[in-house]
Amino acid sequence: MLQIDSRQFVQEHGLLACIQCGKCTGGCPMAIKTRLNPRSLIYRLLISGNGFDLEGREELWDCTTCATCFSRCPKLVNPMEAVIALRGAFVEKGRVHPNVKTALESTFRHGNPLTMPREDRAAWVGDMAVKSIEQGAEYLYYVGCTPSYDPRVQGVTRAIVSLLQGSGLDFGILGAQENCCGSEVRRLGELGLFEMMVEENQETLKSLGVTRMFTTSPHCFNAFKNDYPKNGFQVQHYTQVMAGLLETRSLSFSKPFEKSVTYHDPCYLGKHNGVFDEPRKVLKGIPGLTLVEMDRSREKSLCCEGGGGRMWLEGTNPGTRLAQMRVKEALETGAQVLATACPFCLLTLEEAVKHLNAEGQMRVMDIAEIALQAL
Amino acid sequence: MTNSGVKATTSSESNGRGPAALVIGGGIAGIQAALDLSDAGFHVYLVERSSSIGGRMSQLDKTFPTLDCSSCILTPKMADVPRRPNITLLTGSQVVAVSGEPGDFHVTVERQPRYVDVDSCTGCGLCADVCPVVMPSEFNAGLATQKAVYRRFPQAIPAAFTIEKRASPCKIACPAHIPVQGYVALIAEGKFKEAWQRVRDAGVPFVGTLGRVCYHPCESTCKRADWDEPVAICALKRFAYDAGAEQDIPQPSPRQWDERVAIVGAGPAGLTAAYELLRRGYGVTVFDSLPVAGGMMAVGIPTYRLPREVLDHEIQYICSLGAEVRLNSPVGKDGGPSLDDLRREYDAVFLAVGAHGSSKLGAPGEDLPGVFQALPFLRDLNLGREVKIGKKVAVIGGGNSAIDAARCALRLGAEVHLLYRRSRLEMPAAPHEVAAAEAEGVELTFLVAPTRVLEKDGKVAGVECIRMELGEPDASGRRRPVPLPGSEFIVEVDTLIAAIGQNVESEGFGLETKWDRVVVDPLTLETSLPGVFAGGDAVLGPASVVEAIGAGIEACESIHRFLRGLDLCTGRQPSQPRPQDIIVEPLEQVRRAARLPMVELPPAERISGFREVEQGYTAEQALAEAQRCLSCAVCSECMQCVVACERGAIRHDDQPTQLELQVGAMIVATGYDIFDPRRKPEFGYGVYPQVITTLEFERLASASGPTAGKITLNGHLPKKVVFIQCVGSRDRTLGLPNCSRVCCMAVAKQAHLAHDRLPGAEITVFYMDVRAFGKGFEEFYDRVRNEGVIYRRGNPSEIVKRGDKVVVRAEDTLLSEPIEVEADLVVLAVGMLPRQDADDLSKTLNLARGEDGYFRESHPKLRTMESNVPGVFLAGCCQGAKDIPDTVAHAKAAASAAMILLARKGAGNASD
Repeated sequence: MLQIDSRQFVQEHGLLACIQCGKCTGGCPMAIKTRLNPRSLIYRLLISGNGFDLEGREELWDCTTCATCFSRCPKLVNPMEAVIALRGAFVEKGRVHPNVKTALESTFRHGNPLTMPREDRAAWVGDMAVKSIEQGAEYLYYVGCTPSYDPRVQGVTRAIVSLLQGSGLDFGILGAQENCCGSEVRRLGELGLFEMMVEENQETLKSLGVTRMFTTSPHCFNAFKNDYPKNGFQVQHYTQVMAGLLETRSLSFSKPFEKSVTYHDPCYLGKHNGVFDEPRKVLKGIPGLTLVEMDRSREKSLCCEGGGGRMWLEGTNPGTRLAQMRVKEALETGAQVLATACPFCLLTLEEAVKHLNAEGQMRVMDIAEIALQAL
Repeated sequence: MTNSGVKATTSSESNGRGPAALVIGGGIAGIQAALDLSDAGFHVYLVERSSSIGGRMSQLDKTFPTLDCSSCILTPKMADVPRRPNITLLTGSQVVAVSGEPGDFHVTVERQPRYVDVDSCTGCGLCADVCPVVMPSEFNAGLATQKAVYRRFPQAIPAAFTIEKRASPCKIACPAHIPVQGYVALIAEGKFKEAWQRVRDAGVPFVGTLGRVCYHPCESTCKRADWDEPVAICALKRFAYDAGAEQDIPQPSPRQWDERVAIVGAGPAGLTAAYELLRRGYGVTVFDSLPVAGGMMAVGIPTYRLPREVLDHEIQYICSLGAEVRLNSPVGKDGGPSLDDLRREYDAVFLAVGAHGSSKLGAPGEDLPGVFQALPFLRDLNLGREVKIGKKVAVIGGGNSAIDAARCALRLGAEVHLLYRRSRLEMPAAPHEVAAAEAEGVELTFLVAPTRVLEKDGKVAGVECIRMELGEPDASGRRRPVPLPGSEFIVEVDTLIAAIGQNVESEGFGLETKWDRVVVDPLTLETSLPGVFAGGDAVLGPASVVEAIGAGIEACESIHRFLRGLDLCTGRQPSQPRPQDIIVEPLEQVRRAARLPMVELPPAERISGFREVEQGYTAEQALAEAQRCLSCAVCSECMQCVVACERGAIRHDDQPTQLELQVGAMIVATGYDIFDPRRKPEFGYGVYPQVITTLEFERLASASGPTAGKITLNGHLPKKVVFIQCVGSRDRTLGLPNCSRVCCMAVAKQAHLAHDRLPGAEITVFYMDVRAFGKGFEEFYDRVRNEGVIYRRGNPSEIVKRGDKVVVRAEDTLLSEPIEVEADLVVLAVGMLPRQDADDLSKTLNLARGEDGYFRESHPKLRTMESNVPGVFLAGCCQGAKDIPDTVAHAKAAASAAMILLARKGAGNASD
């Protein structure tokens, strides 16, 4: 039995406003291939009286928190947040997948979900000269866990540093002091750990006097922007910073990148935060580059299935990954490069390209990597 | 908002008993209320914003649930309105101010010009046949086009046409306000002669000349640049002359007035004024000290830029209209008549003497043989006099005259160095002229100034220069050059041409001057002496041909008013937006097309003589280039409609007017807006041609619509049709929480029409719940389902593309399954919204609005037709979404409530 107090739950989550129109389920990318049905779930919660048993509802772990349900709801109900809250009931009882357990424990111990040693966090710097935020800087570059440790994504991190140093932007990093933002912890339902991390990180940022920061990952960007208490510091995604630098001509591209590129909107940049134009502005600013759009772009972008803690979970239907569907859509455009601006999207899409044996036709690149080639 | 030049008339007609009523809005609600008030014997002013009454109902095909034809029941009511002697219909009008109290309101109505006289227009449409501007038809929801002169729909009341006019940046930016869009539109139609004539009719006699030498400030404001590059306006003007100019010389212009005007200076300003004055029927005598007419156009501009046969033809044309041109006739000097002599002999004088003086170099040795001033150098060359220069020439200066002198010297066989004291960025010369000079071989040296001219054997042997650097910006905004001490160097040349400035020779006229320039009133060009006007370079200092032409046109207007005893200022400063503030919505999708480059002679061929460098467009090129125009102003003022109209009904110079009305009660019936589904991007409206709105469906289904009632998409009959309910209603994400009330039944009706007209088609309606609450509604819903229309419960989440079809993604909530339904036509049931500009009327009348944005009734049950303001009543959808029966009932209720007030007031007055 995994009983929750459903009467209180539906009140707290505003589910009573639901008119059962089905827009959430109709747009949900996971509903089509798993048992996840946000509308039906809400309906069951609404009619269950005082108690609702979550036993057997493994589909709750299928949600990628892509925000499509929330963005389509005409009554401002947020099924995604309800799912996250329901996951909490599993976490509380310790009823989680061993991979999730490992990730949560690692975040608690090492400040990252990747079981990597804390002291290696700035190893990506290598022979680059990157200023520490302790020396004082206008911006904090919050690198994030995957961009710090994952050998594939480290390239993106280094590209961002090269580009922004070239533009003369004054920024510093936290180095080994940097701690996970907690975004995925929260989405896996571990709210207690998340609150602890918010406190720790707030303390660090406050003591260093950080007022402006930018991130590699849209997930960290979203966490600092929307999940942390409002505390006066401005957070941007790196593509927003770059678009601003292009506007003031502090950054400009000289080498042509003669390829056709299609851009995959990461959920946490686009649907969650409405950042659709800045990444495109950067791409359009690169000489020689032809930007072609997929049918599903911007508000209609298809999730890659990497969010909501899904980097550590297979879900109930591991067969067809959304990333593979997405790469097929990208291939249809005839583009040579599939660009994105999120470490998770980069990894899942690259994996899908390999799986589809499409490496000869398409390369997956982060916008920063493309921009660096054009510098 | 009061517009200058607005005529105000007061109307307190009371063609009936008691005080009159005002009805705002001419849709079905407004029409019904007006007819009822009129029936009851009250006078009614019916104010409608658009050009016709009829409103939304006129756009509908059938009405639910009875399926009677919307036009068939509406048109008789519309037609009744102009037949009623006690209804005054004011179209194109808006209420802008209200004061007073119930029974005695004072209302100001602003009427926008229609540009077509309603009484003379027979609605024959000859104007639209010749109009070159095509725009989307608002009445047909953008599915068909109409001309810039149009009638909203065939049954429109009034039946007169109307012209759509907006602002165009090019015309505003032009110093002579040439109707650019007009002649460009005519060229695009292949009407080259008409294009040439259009420019001339705007008071500009120098079409071929301007088309060659203008610095075209119009092009830098051209909105086409927001898509690719500005339209080549100047080159098109040249083409209008080259291809369209009449070679025959005209008959003299008939004299209409006895007065004679003396013009001093036969340059662009003087000759333009002469042209305009002759056309207006005055006698004109032009004096010029030079042996040729044309001023700087003739003696300043080299022939490789402006061939003399073009200029001479255009001047000859003016002379033939009846101008007496006295050459070699200085005024105020060299024994010629004085200004006072002219004032005595003529009724007015226009002084346009130009800026023919040259500034001195101020360097030792500048009087040596071999040192020229640019202006006399160019003058002698242009007059065919012998000019002897050496083999190596230095030109000093960075303006247009410097470039002209340098390029001429090159053509005389010299090696030419141009020395300029600032950098390229600060050069006043036109950039394309500088580039041409460079291409031809002129050596440019920047940041150098001459300090003295070196002498050998009594002739020029070189020039000593000093290097400069740029300091702080000076009064002109350009950075001031500062000499670098000790940086002197020598340029060995045998000829020096100084082109460092022109000035006005204004002494001897007895006029007030400032820095040698004649001081005038900037609006009227009046000088310090009555009856003497001045313009062009004499006033502006060295400026441009087009500015001089603009001055000539203004001078003519002032002289005409002066001679006719009219006020010199009235109506001459129309409030026009700044070109950069004009926002343009292109009339159709802009397809990228680069500006066509002008063919030029190769540099090597150019410098062997004085042949014209630019070769002009071919007819094919000109047509293509002219078609790039975005028609910013919609109506291009090409004047073809004026020619075509047999009744003389076109009034291009119509101005807005204001009307003061006295009324006892007001009924607001302003209707609703329709939701723009682009605000829900997940449906791909505007991206997928297969996705349309219910309004577009009405126009497709209508027998009078663009497809004559065939429901087709790109000529194909759709086989799978999907309707989606509640798009833009019941949606809190958009701040539109209310139900639009009509969509459930409108969709049922449209599903029926689709079933009826598309045999065998699969028709699916996605719904959340079906609201069939009215009389006969549920029965109609039953009928439609029985016809085979499938209703699926679930509100679709998105539409995506699959091949040439679109796929509607939804959850069938009865199956609890996500589904995908293929369609080749998707109809979005778009909601009704409060008018976007409801705030304006709300402020004018103090009307309260509800949280939903509609005007608020004073009691939700008992007084839904009364507003919060006593004496102001609400009718129809301005108070909330309604279907037609409810709207008509509401309008009749509002009329009745107004009648009670009017009758009481009438009775009160009678007993007074």
